[in-house]
Amino acid sequence: MTETAQPEQQLENPLLEGLRLQRTPEPCALVIFGASGDLTRRKLFPALYSLALRRLLPEKFGVVGVSRSEESDYEFRDRMKHAVQEFGRDEFREDVWEWLAEGMRYVSTDFADEGGEDRVVTALTELDEKRGTAGNRVYYLAVPPDAISMLAREIGERRSTEGWTRLIVEKPFGRDLASARELNEQIRRSFAEEEIFRIDHYLGKETVQNLLALRFANGIFEPIWNRQFVDHIQITVAETIGIEGRAGFYERAGAIRDVFQNHLLQLVALTAMEPPIDFTADSVRNEKVKVLRALHTPGPRHVVRGQYGRGYVEGQEVPGYREEDGVAPDSMTETYVAAQLYVDNWRWADTPFYIRAGKRLARRETTIAIEFKRAPHPPFEITEDGLRPNVLVCHIQPDEGVSLEFAAKVPGQGMTLRTVHMDFLYGGVFRTGIPEAYERLLLDCFLGDATLFTRADEVEEQWSLVDAIVAGWSRDRPSFPNYAAGTWGPHVADELLRRDGRTWRRH
Amino acid sequence: MATALASIPEIDRELARLRCKDESGAPFQRTSVMTHIAWVPGEWVEMAEDVLAGLAERHPSRTIVLVPDPEAEDALEANVEVDTFSAGEARQVAVETIRLRLCGSRAEAPASIVQPLLLPDLPVFLRWRGVPPFGESPFEQLVDVVDRLIVDSTEWPGLPEPYARFADLFDRVVVSDIAWARTSRWRPQLASLWPGIGGVKRIKVKGTRAQACLLAGWLRSRLGHDVELEHQEAKRLEGVDVDGEPAPFPPGDPPDPADLLSDELERFSRDRVYEEAVRAA
Repeated sequence: MTETAQPEQQLENPLLEGLRLQRTPEPCALVIFGASGDLTRRKLFPALYSLALRRLLPEKFGVVGVSRSEESDYEFRDRMKHAVQEFGRDEFREDVWEWLAEGMRYVSTDFADEGGEDRVVTALTELDEKRGTAGNRVYYLAVPPDAISMLAREIGERRSTEGWTRLIVEKPFGRDLASARELNEQIRRSFAEEEIFRIDHYLGKETVQNLLALRFANGIFEPIWNRQFVDHIQITVAETIGIEGRAGFYERAGAIRDVFQNHLLQLVALTAMEPPIDFTADSVRNEKVKVLRALHTPGPRHVVRGQYGRGYVEGQEVPGYREEDGVAPDSMTETYVAAQLYVDNWRWADTPFYIRAGKRLARRETTIAIEFKRAPHPPFEITEDGLRPNVLVCHIQPDEGVSLEFAAKVPGQGMTLRTVHMDFLYGGVFRTGIPEAYERLLLDCFLGDATLFTRADEVEEQWSLVDAIVAGWSRDRPSFPNYAAGTWGPHVADELLRRDGRTWRRH
Repeated sequence: MATALASIPEIDRELARLRCKDESGAPFQRTSVMTHIAWVPGEWVEMAEDVLAGLAERHPSRTIVLVPDPEAEDALEANVEVDTFSAGEARQVAVETIRLRLCGSRAEAPASIVQPLLLPDLPVFLRWRGVPPFGESPFEQLVDVVDRLIVDSTEWPGLPEPYARFADLFDRVVVSDIAWARTSRWRPQLASLWPGIGGVKRIKVKGTRAQACLLAGWLRSRLGHDVELEHQEAKRLEGVDVDGEPAPFPPGDPPDPADLLSDELERFSRDRVYEEAVRAA
């Protein structure tokens, strides 16, 4: 997070030449709506602490937690201190925490209570006076989707007349195209697009950003990153966990709204996009949105949904989805979705993207696998194993890294070939610890850099595809559950690839 | 895991053997980003080992520690270690350390010993403890096989004189000086005094001699006029006065030696600002 001093600064001050200056945000206050929620405890405060430890937060900084729960400033600080100790990635240092805690305030209010909003303003004004936050505000809406537009309006009406204001909105951003458009419209009444930071934490992951480095900082990959050389692409977002007590949300969302609409489609966009002219917010997002627009809406035969039944995960028996607390016993919510997509453009025409996401699968894994076309005429005797195609796999999590599968000769007489892996393991090469996605995203927002946030038109294109898929679901009623927990999803998903003479990657 | 070895082929065989897990015979993943050579005369061994201990995990590399012992009988005595550490959920990667005692005439030809052990196509860093013997064969040989030379001029007596010889190397090899890195927290503080500092006539530096000389050289070269230096000895950089006024103290704690060396191992390009500071020191 350093940059070299710019030439125009050097002209003025010769001492700046060559100095590695840290990008430090301007003074600001962060307001977290939904401060008693899991996200605040598990992700946001550990991220803020890590930023504070590395001196990446503004020197003049404060946080206002807002939630319905009755809590004093002291109790809020104490609860967040324990959260940092439990979920933080760094050693806990009392002096760093004390600095952060001094700027923490808590406001207990119902989101619908307008008086509560005024108390938030009072707390912010006090932070401006005592901590020098200069009227700059970041509002983080970690709240249920139905509270977002009302909060955006309330905040907009009371926005500071001094400094800047930014709004971070958590997913899901709407539940279909119509609601997403309406939400965009409502928020835009109070905020300009460049003030809105729609967060998809996948984009903050180092390995997702490394995909851009792999593609656009290396001369060898991009020339073969197209339909001429790539046979197909498989993207997998697999979780072993179930719904973890989120039945209320998950029953309405399902896998398609929880993961497919955002994480999966963002990974498709990053994999398929054209090189941006630079790494600025609009250049990157312009290229992503072109891919999302070019996504071919799959017919019903090209989409599979599933729901897990009872099974075993890591040797332990786990209940089926319909047996989870809060889930209807005849629920038709999907916990797995797979689709065959096409990107209708010059680079990717006719190249299938097989993508899947699911809960209670056999292994936790997020990967992007680029499978290349086979060697046209191998002059060797083919063994039982066959000569497998080259596959470049980007491991997003776990074991973050990149591996290339290729054929090698087995030592000995004759010409026996075997597939071997050449691995780059992120954690093996860079030992500084990989920052959590929320650290990067919070810091980028404080700095006003929206490159890793989703723009309104991207969200709308994503929903447009999801709407087209979901529209077909009302006409059929699959027999759920159709896969056992701890497996790789329903058998019918294998059919998606088998009919094209392909299979899902072995794991 | 240490064994005594007497030739390069023996070292290679031992490394290959140690790279396999004892129980399964499966190889660890070897991950290397560089070859790191350390020239460590006997009196520096203990200090060098402390720094290396903090470094291996951060910069997976092949480290070659050369301990010259020219008074001993001709021989090569080597120890090899392969250390593993976890990376990812169920994987381990291996880093290698080769310790070589160059006895007798072997100390005169270190490049011929080091070259077969360099990892191909990866950058080679040489950490030289103490004042380099400019113009002498072992040093000159090693400079010609490495991409970057790292010194700590704090270890050099008689400053600023040795800087003149050191500057002769700048067109041959990229250099880093840990003493310069130790001033990196202070330089932005001094830069923040612009434009007032533009006409500075005299600075007083409480720190090491190297830090004082380099800061004065930096100001002279950047500002284009002479700056008088008063030096007050201290083990670390504790303060800088600019024409009698103390510069603001930098925030945070000073980094430890392993962190400083670690940072230098991440840099690959020439630091022209440092080179000019050395020439003006």
